[in-house]
Amino acid sequence: MTRKIKRFISYAILIIASLLSVFPLYYMLSGATNKSIDIVRGRLIPGGYLVENFKTLVANQNLGLAMFNSFRNAILITIISLLVCSIAGYGFEIYHDKGKDTLMSILLLAMMLPFVALMIPLFKMFSSMGLVNSWIALVLPSVSTPFMIMLFRQASRSFPIDIIEASRLEGMSEVAIFFRMYVPIMKSTYGAAMTVTFMNAWNNYLWPKVILQDNASITMPMLVANLKSGYSVDYGMLMLGVLICTLPTAVIFFCLQKSFSNGLTGAVK
Amino acid sequence: MKKKGFLSVLLATAMLGSMVAAVPAAAADDDQTLTVWCWDPNFNIYAMQQAEKIYQEDHPDFKLDIQENVYSDIETKLITAATSGDYSTLPDIFLMQDYSYHKDVTSFPDVFTDLTDSGIDFSQFSTGKLADSTVDGKNYGVPFDNGATIMAIRSDIVEEAGLTTDDFKDITWSKFMELAKTVKEKTNTPMLTTSGGSELILEMLQSAGASPIVDGEVKIADNEVLKQAVEVYAQLVNEGYMTEYTDWDQYIASMNNGDAAGVINGCWIMSSVQAAEDQSGKWTIVDMPALDDVEGATNYANCGGASWAVSSNCKNPDLAYDFIKSTFGGSVELYDDLLVNAGAIASYLPAAESDVYQEASDFYGGQKVYADIVDYASKVPAFDCGAYYSDIRSALTDVVTNVVQSGADVAEELQTAQETVEFNIEG
Amino acid sequence: MANTSGTKKKMSLQKKHNLIGWAFLIPASLLIFVFCFYPMFQAILLSFRKGMGAAQTWVGIANYSRILKDRTFKQCLFNTVFYFIIQVPVMLILALILAQLLNDATLRFKGLFRTMIFLPCATSLVSYSMIFKSLFAPDGFVNMVLTKMGIGAVDWFQNAWAARFVIIIALVWRWTGYNMVFYLAGLQNIDQSIYEASRIDGATAFQQFFKITIPLLKPTILLTAIMSTSGTLQLFDESVNLTAGGPGKSTMTLAHYIFNISFVETPKFNYAAALSVFILVSVAILSAIQMKVGDSRD
Repeated sequence: MTRKIKRFISYAILIIASLLSVFPLYYMLSGATNKSIDIVRGRLIPGGYLVENFKTLVANQNLGLAMFNSFRNAILITIISLLVCSIAGYGFEIYHDKGKDTLMSILLLAMMLPFVALMIPLFKMFSSMGLVNSWIALVLPSVSTPFMIMLFRQASRSFPIDIIEASRLEGMSEVAIFFRMYVPIMKSTYGAAMTVTFMNAWNNYLWPKVILQDNASITMPMLVANLKSGYSVDYGMLMLGVLICTLPTAVIFFCLQKSFSNGLTGAVK
Repeated sequence: MKKKGFLSVLLATAMLGSMVAAVPAAAADDDQTLTVWCWDPNFNIYAMQQAEKIYQEDHPDFKLDIQENVYSDIETKLITAATSGDYSTLPDIFLMQDYSYHKDVTSFPDVFTDLTDSGIDFSQFSTGKLADSTVDGKNYGVPFDNGATIMAIRSDIVEEAGLTTDDFKDITWSKFMELAKTVKEKTNTPMLTTSGGSELILEMLQSAGASPIVDGEVKIADNEVLKQAVEVYAQLVNEGYMTEYTDWDQYIASMNNGDAAGVINGCWIMSSVQAAEDQSGKWTIVDMPALDDVEGATNYANCGGASWAVSSNCKNPDLAYDFIKSTFGGSVELYDDLLVNAGAIASYLPAAESDVYQEASDFYGGQKVYADIVDYASKVPAFDCGAYYSDIRSALTDVVTNVVQSGADVAEELQTAQETVEFNIEG
Repeated sequence: MANTSGTKKKMSLQKKHNLIGWAFLIPASLLIFVFCFYPMFQAILLSFRKGMGAAQTWVGIANYSRILKDRTFKQCLFNTVFYFIIQVPVMLILALILAQLLNDATLRFKGLFRTMIFLPCATSLVSYSMIFKSLFAPDGFVNMVLTKMGIGAVDWFQNAWAARFVIIIALVWRWTGYNMVFYLAGLQNIDQSIYEASRIDGATAFQQFFKITIPLLKPTILLTAIMSTSGTLQLFDESVNLTAGGPGKSTMTLAHYIFNISFVETPKFNYAAALSVFILVSVAILSAIQMKVGDSRD
């Protein structure tokens, strides 16, 4: 009986939380199907204006290019970031000593200065190297983050040391242990890290805007910003743009969430 | 490992893709191509495209590379480039809001090109408008869209209250209060809606020929006209004649929904008013009320508007000058097109004499709104807030908020604002 | 864990591992040193100078002493600290509870629940701020409910305290799902047999939560606490997009103020740099305390 009540409470909490969370998506969905003036006047019921909104959006903005650029940038950053940060996180924890712990604390400082203050010196640096407008300037400053390193460092704490020692006895090299043992076992951490890195890279606005100079490098957040910049805003088109911009992260989360939350089938076996 | 192989292929593809894509457009080095930064596809981007077509008639090789950038990003990018000392990323021509000219020309003079002797005929623009982009007597911008202040009112609502729209023409604020009281009592609708902040205060100040800068010194405290403007604003809100919306979208909605019987803003607000197509015929444009008992007070001011600037990085300045001279600085044909298709009201005075500007507008009940607005624009007193306009604006917003929200003392708040701005200037 | 025992061979092996460990850290550390610490060093230098480009002069701590006289700074600092104190604990506790509820193998529609709760942080800033603004508008949904409940409408964006609460609500709404992800991932790494053993011993769900989940999740909790601390003290998006810092400057955050004095108002980059360093030092101190409390390996 109490079990049933407990279950009921769990569901109730989750349903309320989900409804609260999902409301904006509904708002975007209904907005994307309505005429601008109706949205301004507070209409919340889906309408029949989706196709028109899509036509205006495509006529106004290069949607395909923005999608392609956003995916390319986000995938590139995610892959490099995961590789670099997970190796570092593993190194910090598995081979930890005083020196490495200190270095970790120092690296953490990197996320504590507001980016606004870093932006101009960073731009200056790339400009002096002639790298403004290049993918190097876009990607390299965003791939190594203390947050990701620390995420892997903290997660490595639950990685069984016996596995490493057993592998060493089998004659595996340290690098091989990382790739063959650690990576597959830590897939829940990789899943979470991948989702978050992808999302951050996808939504990144200021730095790409400043370092990339021409229309050909437009990304989805820039496209959405453009939709809102005019003297009179077409809210139907804006909501559709925003919806399209949100979907990839949501889909990626939905696909990856199993890897970091499988209930009973824990990662460590 | 299978997975690793897949990853490295993906990685390699992505890198290759980005390297190919990141090569800057070769066309930029072409002598006949100019790069432009501006921001609204239906407005100033459209204007540039039309200007390009017109110029191409005589210069078939000419091309524009128009880069869409949100305005705040244009400023961020200009400032980043300027402080890094790398001007090579700047476009040839960019559009800048008039309120930023003094600040940016003073702080980053190397971004701009002095246009005074470029051959562009600046006498074809009103002095009030030119003052925004003129620093130390030098022209840095060619005015584009008009920002003359208008009061747009709902004729149906004021008529319901037994008044006519003519009652609102050429009046003072004290008269306006009486009329607004009638409207409020009869229809229970506030006369005005506002997005808050200090814009309306500054428009009142300008209309009276006053300024928060007197002889180059900040004069916010002990500025009688400014004090009166703040008091008028507070009265409007306190009596319920004007509703404040801090959020822009809500503000627009309040016009479209009929939550207010009117609005005072730059004439560019008309495109938002007109979004409510079902209210066609129910709007009228009049001039704004004038401050009482101030010598030289008028019914005219300016809010917003932008001007074209030529950057110091322009590789072919003569081409840029000639292009602007033959289009934004000399083509009535261009402005006719822009008025009809983009709703852009020109700052270029000869454009106003064109037939298109004499046409009656159905949305405004057959009123010749464009001719009227151009007429207002020609009467706007020149106004110079100097390099500290943004700081003053921000400090005055605090004044308005504190006075209206917490009933703070106007003189004390103005004194605080004075100190804040002085603190910013001593920097 | 560290083995300090003795033969020479073992020592050299340990030395080798130690070196490999350092090698593992090099790419990530190098990137951070080049692309973050070098610009950071420049920013710190800037904060002791006045002027730009070639016309720079050393002014010592003038930019820092200016902070003490700056009223806007005091207002922004107050706002930021207020957000931090209320929002971080509320959000992290909510995220923990949700993660715990969702980490139940017998629960149905888990994937759907998780995705929905994660959605807020995937939502682009533009739409999310539009939605919140319309929800809390004078005649918006929230006021409608409040009026029906007999509490009466609140002027959310015109009243300083109400506006601050809107920001906190928005922050909690947006980032709870995000933090939940790390807790979920962390929970996966906890051996389920520990729970089973405690259940046999008769532990209740509450006891399990406090005696097993929290201690074992400690590394992750520390991570999210440091992250949220740093994120909240650098809060920018909500202040800019939701309230534009208003009414007046009563919801403006420090990072918003820094942006304004760099790119909106008459630029004062040196002073902006000094304010940034102030944030850096504050976050560093708070994080150091959190590390001290939470980063023991026992």
